[in-house]
Amino acid sequence: MRSSRQSPGWFSFVAFAASLSGGPALASGDVALGEYLSSECSACHQTSGRQVGGIPAIVGHPADQFAALMNAYRTKQRDNVVMQTIAARLTEEELLALAAYYESLKPPG
Amino acid sequence: MHLDRRSLILTGLSVSATLGLGAPAVLGQARPRVVVIGGGAGGATAARYLAKDSQGAIAVTLVEENETYQTCFHSNLYLGGFKSYDEIVHRYDALAKTHGIAVVRARATQIDRDKKEVVLSTGQRLPYDRLVVSPGIDLKYDSVPGWSKEAEETMPHGWKPGRQTQLIKQRLDAVPNGGLIVMIAPPNPFRCPPGPYERASMFAHALKKAGKADAKIIILDPKEAFSKQGVFQADWEKRYGGMIEWLGPKVHDGIKSVDPKTNTVVTGFETYKDCAFVNVIPAQMAGEIARSAGLAPAGGYCAIDPATMKSAVDPHIFVLGDACIAGDMPKSAFSANSQAKVAAMTIRGEVTGARTFPARYVNTCWSLVDTDDTIKVGGRYEPKDGKITATETFVSQPGESDALRKENQAENLGWYAAITADMFG
Repeated sequence: MRSSRQSPGWFSFVAFAASLSGGPALASGDVALGEYLSSECSACHQTSGRQVGGIPAIVGHPADQFAALMNAYRTKQRDNVVMQTIAARLTEEELLALAAYYESLKPPG
Repeated sequence: MHLDRRSLILTGLSVSATLGLGAPAVLGQARPRVVVIGGGAGGATAARYLAKDSQGAIAVTLVEENETYQTCFHSNLYLGGFKSYDEIVHRYDALAKTHGIAVVRARATQIDRDKKEVVLSTGQRLPYDRLVVSPGIDLKYDSVPGWSKEAEETMPHGWKPGRQTQLIKQRLDAVPNGGLIVMIAPPNPFRCPPGPYERASMFAHALKKAGKADAKIIILDPKEAFSKQGVFQADWEKRYGGMIEWLGPKVHDGIKSVDPKTNTVVTGFETYKDCAFVNVIPAQMAGEIARSAGLAPAGGYCAIDPATMKSAVDPHIFVLGDACIAGDMPKSAFSANSQAKVAAMTIRGEVTGARTFPARYVNTCWSLVDTDDTIKVGGRYEPKDGKITATETFVSQPGESDALRKENQAENLGWYAAITADMFG
């Protein structure tokens, strides 16, 4: 899979990644665990869904897209070192929990 | 009558409000009290997460003596002309209005650990079930011979926020072309390890932009090495030619004295006279309230339990941020924010029975070297081997593409907006 810092955009990338993943159903993600783990994310990604500068909003995305993107960082297909570092030690359970939690948040209208 | 937890809390609140302070504990369900000392990256985050996640089940009081908070992070961007001063100043209003935190504007003067009370400068005593101590650093005014509290006006440090930050900017703006700035860097461990070197970069940027490229910045460092050294020094050469010169202890043979009256700095090998501006960043220690409470040894920092952020000497007290010994984590706002979330989770577990999870910590420090040229260092951390231990780390490398550096700066700006929202929103 092609990876680039500049393109494709975050949305198109996650849609593409999700289309390839065909992964398991994600409804089982532990939202409470995800909420705690999300505190690692919220120093950069605003929980309100507000986007500033070069850090994308991540709230309200379908869990399968979220999980596919994090997998792309974990396997270093996507090349931001901060995100690779964050993703590196996430277990499958934790990744699904995060995906379930962020899916549960309402994106800003 | 059925009362769920939420309505019970709200009922308790309304009864308390009706009867006022001093009302006896009602319903046998007095809310657990958590007091937070210090409204910075550690304290404000802890207060906000305790209040937000407990949904009113915990009475959270934040003790902070200043009406507003100026971030030390991104103060270098203010010095470099990339941000206005107003952009790095924040208020506590939303913590009170949105999250119901009692924000008490006073100085915490004493922690009575036996009675579990915080004594304020107003004489008020705040009882606590759990206490979060996040006072930041104090400066060691005797760590540079000839420098003192009085001398901080003429040889400013700019390492605690507010007037000192503005003083540094005034002194920088007054440097003539050809003038010499001497920065005395601090010994480890200190607040914001890349900070002095980002600041030197911003000095050079501002001077160059003002047509003063013949000015020079000499950094006298007591350390043999510093954060992101390889990439900082490569970028300084590329961006600023010879404007910034870093001298380690083997090269300057020690900082022997400074004279604020004549703006002179004497090292073992050299005397720098008539400096345009001397920036003394002294040695540091945990804030006074932590030391006076016996949470840190004299002149030192506070030992903590890496799994919970609890003080190693008092199980009812948590110490966050620059004041604590956080193992492999640097003293940064990002670290303090991360530690605060572990402490808030642990406290909620202890006082409300909320679920708890294994501690995880994260940090990234971005440093602006020049326009669209930002470098970064960071890692992920877990409790291991009796300390907070890095499990993954990364650092920028010399020679990276301009596009990557520009992307780093976009992250830096996004991070600032997010962490300040995470602290004060």
